Amino acid sequence: MAVTTYSGAEQYNFDIVKKFSVMALVWAVVGMFVGVYIASELAWPFLNFDSPYFSFGRFRPVHTSAVIFGFGGSALFATSYYVVQRTCQTRLISDGMASFTFWGWQTVIVLAALSYVSGYSQGREYAEMEWPIDILIEVVWVTYLILFVGTIMRRKQPHIYVANWFYLSFILATALLHTFNNLSMPVDLFSMKSYSLFSGTQDAMTQWWYGHNAVGFFLTAAFLGMMYYFVPKQAGRPIYSYRLSIVHFWALSFMYMWVGGHHLHWTALPDWTSSLAAAFSILLLMPSWGGMINGIMTLSGAWDKLRTDPVMRFMIVALSFYGMSTFEGPMMSLKEVNALSHYTDWTVGHVHSGALGWVAMISFGSLYHMMPKLWDTKIYSQKLVEWHFWLATIGIVLYIVAMWISGITQGLMWRAFDEFGNLQYSFAESVAAMMPFYAMRAIGGMFFLSGASLMAFNMFMTIRQGKRESAALEAKLAAKMAHA
Amino acid sequence: MEWLMWFSKPENTKPLALIIFFVTFIGIVIYVYGSKKRGQKLESYRDIPFLDDQEGTKDKQ
Amino acid sequence: MNFNFKHEWIETNIGLMAVLTMLAISVGGLVEIAPLFFIDKTIEKVEGVRPYTPLEQRGRDIYVREGCYTCHSQMIRPFRDEKLRYGHYSLAAESQYDHPFQWGSKRTGPDLARVGAKYSNEWHVQHLVAPRSMVPESVMPNYPWLLSTKLDISDVAGRMKALRKVGVPYSLTQADYDANVAKFGETVAKQLHIPDAQKNLVEQANFGNYDGDRSGISEMDALVAYLQVLGTMVDFSKHADDAFVDNR
Repeated sequence: MAVTTYSGAEQYNFDIVKKFSVMALVWAVVGMFVGVYIASELAWPFLNFDSPYFSFGRFRPVHTSAVIFGFGGSALFATSYYVVQRTCQTRLISDGMASFTFWGWQTVIVLAALSYVSGYSQGREYAEMEWPIDILIEVVWVTYLILFVGTIMRRKQPHIYVANWFYLSFILATALLHTFNNLSMPVDLFSMKSYSLFSGTQDAMTQWWYGHNAVGFFLTAAFLGMMYYFVPKQAGRPIYSYRLSIVHFWALSFMYMWVGGHHLHWTALPDWTSSLAAAFSILLLMPSWGGMINGIMTLSGAWDKLRTDPVMRFMIVALSFYGMSTFEGPMMSLKEVNALSHYTDWTVGHVHSGALGWVAMISFGSLYHMMPKLWDTKIYSQKLVEWHFWLATIGIVLYIVAMWISGITQGLMWRAFDEFGNLQYSFAESVAAMMPFYAMRAIGGMFFLSGASLMAFNMFMTIRQGKRESAALEAKLAAKMAHA
Repeated sequence: MEWLMWFSKPENTKPLALIIFFVTFIGIVIYVYGSKKRGQKLESYRDIPFLDDQEGTKDKQ
Repeated sequence: MNFNFKHEWIETNIGLMAVLTMLAISVGGLVEIAPLFFIDKTIEKVEGVRPYTPLEQRGRDIYVREGCYTCHSQMIRPFRDEKLRYGHYSLAAESQYDHPFQWGSKRTGPDLARVGAKYSNEWHVQHLVAPRSMVPESVMPNYPWLLSTKLDISDVAGRMKALRKVGVPYSLTQADYDANVAKFGETVAKQLHIPDAQKNLVEQANFGNYDGDRSGISEMDALVAYLQVLGTMVDFSKHADDAFVDNR
């Protein structure tokens, strides 16, 4: 097998893909560990240990940055470099630039985490990095854009495959969002502290335009790009409908950017803005489900693969969770539902059904497909993949069920009145009622984390096996040459 | 310049924008699904991911 | 379509694709964000709202640093239960000097938009150092280091200058100062004068004695001063119940 494969090393730059894949797994384990830790802090507050460095408020952005930008980001860099090279049948235009995006991006994540725990934060959700880190992100991102577009320009295949459209749209949108949401005035050139350019209402709208589209483009469009390549490859069948993907792409790109305001229902944001956002949120259900159907139907006629191929199962379950959370999202953007759900754990549960169910599962599936190919071998243990699948699935279910119950309970307790028209519960009582569900959520997270750790081990062994095989092969070739 | 003011009123621009976007959307859908021949051509691009390796094309039906 | 458009044009031209994608993703933000800067009604005119004093602003910096927004909102919604629990719904004007806004998205703890003047300074200090000694059900971390850390006041003027650059009316010149006197009255205008920032901060901390310890100015002084001003700037007894409905 190893002898007949394309000589990846010369035709493609797989080295960069390997690096990012490994770091994706490292950040997955680190970020999810921090996630489990802060979840446990809410259930058992002594875990804050009276220390500024571990307190929930400073630690939470470490979790979000490590999983979104560390794990998600590295997985996207890895797969986008892989997909763009293979569908354009050309090598990345510059190994130096590729290497710069790798070291630059890893530095960003490490600096971000260190800066949060030492007390530097912009106080904007998912954009907590202070201005010097933001500038580094900007430089890395522009390099990424040039590298990606440049590689496409050098393609040998006349058509640009649909996966690349989604990656492109993700790169462009992220550049746009990052730039405008992080406009700020440093206290001085040598100070990490800065103040945002906008204030109050305008600042809120800008931040949630960013915040929701970080979900829309970083965590959705880009992972759809992943889906459009890896689901067909793993299934061994082309995507269900190319025409659907055209409609899907344009509708999704256009509509996502409108929906951020639904995070600000009933606030001091003018009503017209949040209503418009809600209307688009509901419309967005259509392209979202279009994409889901396109992915799942790719398997039509080969459903037996779900039974026999655990990697395929990761992908299809990911698409199912994608469908579920893109239904839940528009529902939560309805003003009446939002009045209950907003500010509660329901939102947290919704985010995680998307992040664990869709983003993490499709990444796991894609990495399981890609990593053995990169090291030119087979997965070390299919059994461990099976275990990972079940641990992850049980973990997600525990997590979101806990958050549904606690979220709805919170919402109902806050608005409950007694017979005299007074509030029935104090806030503290609603906090006390959350305790069992916070514990259950932490346990769900532990399941998911142990699954991810199994994967890291499995891939470590796969890489080792691949290296041994190629060493053995080289030895054999050398021996043959000596005889000849 | 008076006609420009027409655009500054939300009650004018809202339906206008709606019509533009909706027509664009319908246009895309008709373009994509309207013609059988064009459809077949578009669908042929599905195979791009399988063009660069040998193993992939084999188990494709 | 007689000009015979082909989607293949886009699919074979990365430049065209990038431009069209940019176009598609720009519209939403432009339509929803840009008008917020131009429509006058977005932020209502209301008496009382002023920029933070140097001490309050330093307290706010600590609020941001500790990530309080991850568990506390500062945005009361116009519902009956929220009015009973927290008070009048939040106005856009009340956060107009907030760089960055801290409306939050989650209430693991209660909303803080109107927490000011609800509890004593002593309560806040004790609650921040050991929340469960005041509220047994609480899951809030302890913040003992706020009391033991001296407040860094060396760059307070620099911080106010940066805020001035993004639009907060702190005064540097006599003309600025006079304008503030006209707008906010003399007592407030004095607090907003950057050249006196350190002096003002020390005076307010000593006079207010927020952390109960006059021997020095701690981070606790600043944070409690900030918490105590939250939501107290507008006097709602002066306004009719539906005075702000039009701005929604």
